[in-house]
Amino acid sequence: MTVNDEKNILDDMIIKGIQSLPEAEPPEGFSSRVMAGLEPKNPSVWTRFCLWLIEPRSVTFTPVRMASVLATAMVLLAIGFFALDGFESNGDVRLSTVRFVLKDAGMNARSVAVIGSFNGWDREDAVMHFDQDAGTWVLETRLPSGDHEYMFLVDGQKLMPDPKAQMTRDDGFGNRNSIVFVNGYHEQTL
Amino acid sequence: MNKNREEEIIREVLLGDTQAFEYLVHKYQRPVYNLMLRNTGEAEMAADLSQEAFVRAYQRLETFKMGNRFFPWLYSLSLNLARDWQRKKSRDRHVFVENAAVMVRDQDKVDTQAMLNNHMDGTKAFEVVMGLDQKYREALILRFRHDFSMKEIASTLGITISGAKMRVSRGLDMVRLQFQEVSDDR
Repeated sequence: MTVNDEKNILDDMIIKGIQSLPEAEPPEGFSSRVMAGLEPKNPSVWTRFCLWLIEPRSVTFTPVRMASVLATAMVLLAIGFFALDGFESNGDVRLSTVRFVLKDAGMNARSVAVIGSFNGWDREDAVMHFDQDAGTWVLETRLPSGDHEYMFLVDGQKLMPDPKAQMTRDDGFGNRNSIVFVNGYHEQTL
Repeated sequence: MNKNREEEIIREVLLGDTQAFEYLVHKYQRPVYNLMLRNTGEAEMAADLSQEAFVRAYQRLETFKMGNRFFPWLYSLSLNLARDWQRKKSRDRHVFVENAAVMVRDQDKVDTQAMLNNHMDGTKAFEVVMGLDQKYREALILRFRHDFSMKEIASTLGITISGAKMRVSRGLDMVRLQFQEVSDDR
């Protein structure tokens, strides 16, 4: 028997000795004593939210359902790929900088926004800022090539066509929308 | 009760179900009580300190990091309490160690006669381990009795992983040396 063998046997004995160390039982009713001294917790909403976030959840799926999900994902990826490919090859969606300008000219407007087909006619999406020096309302944005209908919305209520617009189009409700042509190659100021 | 079950219980306790905590008390009261007994040598004090350890664990349960094992966290907290108590008492640890062996009640002893007959060496190992300095004794008990990883030992004892490895290794060396001395004497 080598020295190493002896050491291994000794180590085994020691480890077994530690594993079988006799232990005393806690006194009777120990857990009841502990529990009697505990105050109930009153978790905050934030604590509840954090615990909800880290709570493990099980997800079940069948192979058939998984296959349909994978197929849908593949189709969406393919559509995205071809759409992206078209976007880069024809260049039609190239964005150009367009600057909308409206002279205040005594209107004393409190706010002006450009609403149009390019922003879903949403007043919040294109609020103009007032240039004190020039006395004009200005908005610079980037639009894709093509023609876009738009109007100015003054003080959140009054619709107003762009007096400088070269073209207008009947909106079917008795108003005429201004039209901007974006050629995709040059910056434009209206 | 596996780690996931324990995490469920901890979550329930944190959400206000105090009674759920009793599962953890039941499961770990024995090792915590024996840790205190090894360090105090007094059954009553060991019970008081164990109770304090569980109450403190309950109060600080929000700081427990989910994903870790609960027992090393509880053991670390209990060990700190035991150390605080020892600092206050400033007594010679060897007195406690000897007493701790005596404190084991007859009905709790692991078939002592069988050990004497069949596992004499295991009994010697017990005596030698109980006579070690606390830092080596706890490292060996954590490693070989409670199956703690080196990382868990390091975290529990507040030392580095290499420090934990060294403590276990040195502890084993000390036991080997004393083991052989005891064997030579018999």
